[in-house]
Amino acid sequence: MASSDIKSIQDAQKAKRRKLVLKRIWQLKWIYLFMLLPGLAVIIIFRYLPLPGIALAWKKFTPTFGSKGLYSYLSSSKSVGWKHFQTLWKEADFWNATRNTFLISLLKLVFGFPFPVILAILINEMTLKRYKKAVQTIYTFPHFLSWVVVSGMVLNLFGDTGAIKSVLGHINPDWTSNWNFLYNSKSFRPLLVISDIWKEGGWGTILYLAAIAGIDPSLHEAAIVDGANRFQRIIRITLPEITSLIIIMLILQIGNMMNANFDQIFNLYSAPVFDVGDVIDTYIYRKTFQSSTAMDYGFSTAVGLFKNVINFILLIGANRIAKLFGHDGIM
Amino acid sequence: MAKNRKYVQEETVSAGAHMVRHVHVFDVILFIILTLLALVIIYPFYNTILVSIVPQAVYTRQPFMLYPKQVTLENYKFVFESPLLLRSMLNSVILAVVGTLYNMILTVLLAYSFTKRDMPGRNFFRFILVFTMYFGGGLVPTYLLYKALGLVGNWWVMVLPTGVSITYMLIVSSNMSELPAEIEESAKIDGANDVQILFKIVLPLIKPILATFTIYYAVERWNEWYSAMLYLKDNKLWPLQQTLRQIISSANVISTSLNGESRPPVYGDSVKMACIVVTVFPLMALYPFLQRYFLTGLTLGAVKG
Repeated sequence: MASSDIKSIQDAQKAKRRKLVLKRIWQLKWIYLFMLLPGLAVIIIFRYLPLPGIALAWKKFTPTFGSKGLYSYLSSSKSVGWKHFQTLWKEADFWNATRNTFLISLLKLVFGFPFPVILAILINEMTLKRYKKAVQTIYTFPHFLSWVVVSGMVLNLFGDTGAIKSVLGHINPDWTSNWNFLYNSKSFRPLLVISDIWKEGGWGTILYLAAIAGIDPSLHEAAIVDGANRFQRIIRITLPEITSLIIIMLILQIGNMMNANFDQIFNLYSAPVFDVGDVIDTYIYRKTFQSSTAMDYGFSTAVGLFKNVINFILLIGANRIAKLFGHDGIM
Repeated sequence: MAKNRKYVQEETVSAGAHMVRHVHVFDVILFIILTLLALVIIYPFYNTILVSIVPQAVYTRQPFMLYPKQVTLENYKFVFESPLLLRSMLNSVILAVVGTLYNMILTVLLAYSFTKRDMPGRNFFRFILVFTMYFGGGLVPTYLLYKALGLVGNWWVMVLPTGVSITYMLIVSSNMSELPAEIEESAKIDGANDVQILFKIVLPLIKPILATFTIYYAVERWNEWYSAMLYLKDNKLWPLQQTLRQIISSANVISTSLNGESRPPVYGDSVKMACIVVTVFPLMALYPFLQRYFLTGLTLGAVKG
């Protein structure tokens, strides 16, 4: 065979191989996109398609009858400029809801935040393995219940016909004659905080326990040799080692301040405690579905937008700051 | 301090062997605190169960009970003879199965595609997905969209929008990327395409993580009530949680009562508690056995190092 023949065969083979490789790459990448597609489509449909509806915040909602189309209501609703936001600014109920949102989040922060930390440290000091596991099962279980269930238990325990009122009534009948935990402005917020701790406190210990377990044992051993007692070791070794985690969790919880648990409050609150218990999300819900001015959707959209924007800023800000402390943020 | 020195001496003497400690006051106090806390956590459950197995009249006379003075199954009989509640239970089971399957398939596909660095537009898509965690349309735009899509009054409104939890998806994805690259490469050399690699190689290797998030999604679907309350007026479609909610909240009026009467009935505390027990029981029964799956999910993607 002449060398030119061999070369042309080799060229032909090379070209064929290149074509196959290109074809392979082409196919590979498309498969990834196909895998991406279903999830992405669902997200786009259910989380992005609603977004243009935000324009309703500057309109007076008027439904279109008979016309199809996802955004027909946008074209049929007239623009009212910033009127909704102006109303919002003057609306006492809204400011009440905003104030409650921050206050309740603050209460949950002050009382609810330290609880899992302390509990985690305590659990870690326990040496009986079986007991530790049993106790953790009990503490973490309530996290997986819905607030419908938990509020059902709370409503029963603390309600008019409940065990706690009955016990208090036996001790001193005066206490319970007109008092109801759930309808009283003074007791509602503490009830929210306590029930939140009951439900989520145990779950919160998990992260801290994992961090504590990761502490180098030689630190403790050295301290024992130096004569440190248990308490000193907790303060001087355990706490400092998990400080960065504590700070990160604290920042993230602060960033989430505007989301005072809708599920919890919606299931526990009632008209008598709107003044202390109504939060922005429940306010929006009532304005949307139980509004006296029928279908004031533009207004509640405006409120929702206001909340979402501030919430967005808080969340992003908290995330960025937490990253400075070592949190491998999601963004 | 003599006490400390004795403690220290015992530790160093037995350093080589298993660490033996004598019981400290601290240990006893610790045990007491943890046990008391466990009792406080358990008490509402205990109370609920007690109220549910006691006749309503007995409960009304003496709401606070440490033990049941008279046991009856009449409340549970009421629950299991109610067509509404039975249908709700069935709805919840179907919802949990279908919903979880839907969630997991989408999650796994998304997660795997994100492990491929050469996927076109990877960062862009990641941004799009993560963005939804921070900002949303709000109640009204979402409601109006669902209405336009025909989801209002449709059972699927409890399933389809739940889509994917981005947090879970990212954790699964990072877990997939941690698998050694050689496994995939050798599979490719053997001629496998990506779908085969995903299902026959990657998924079996991350089974624990898959189990964890299957459970997380299943619990979320089981606890679903909000979308039913907003979008489903027909109580035949309601999941258990929403029916439970209606029964518990005293202010609401049920259009069709549990037993078909037209007059909205008032449910006794005992019946309400029986409903709660029925709702919680599957979780309570499974939790101790599956606990490690429930707990690992949180630490998987969180604490690094």
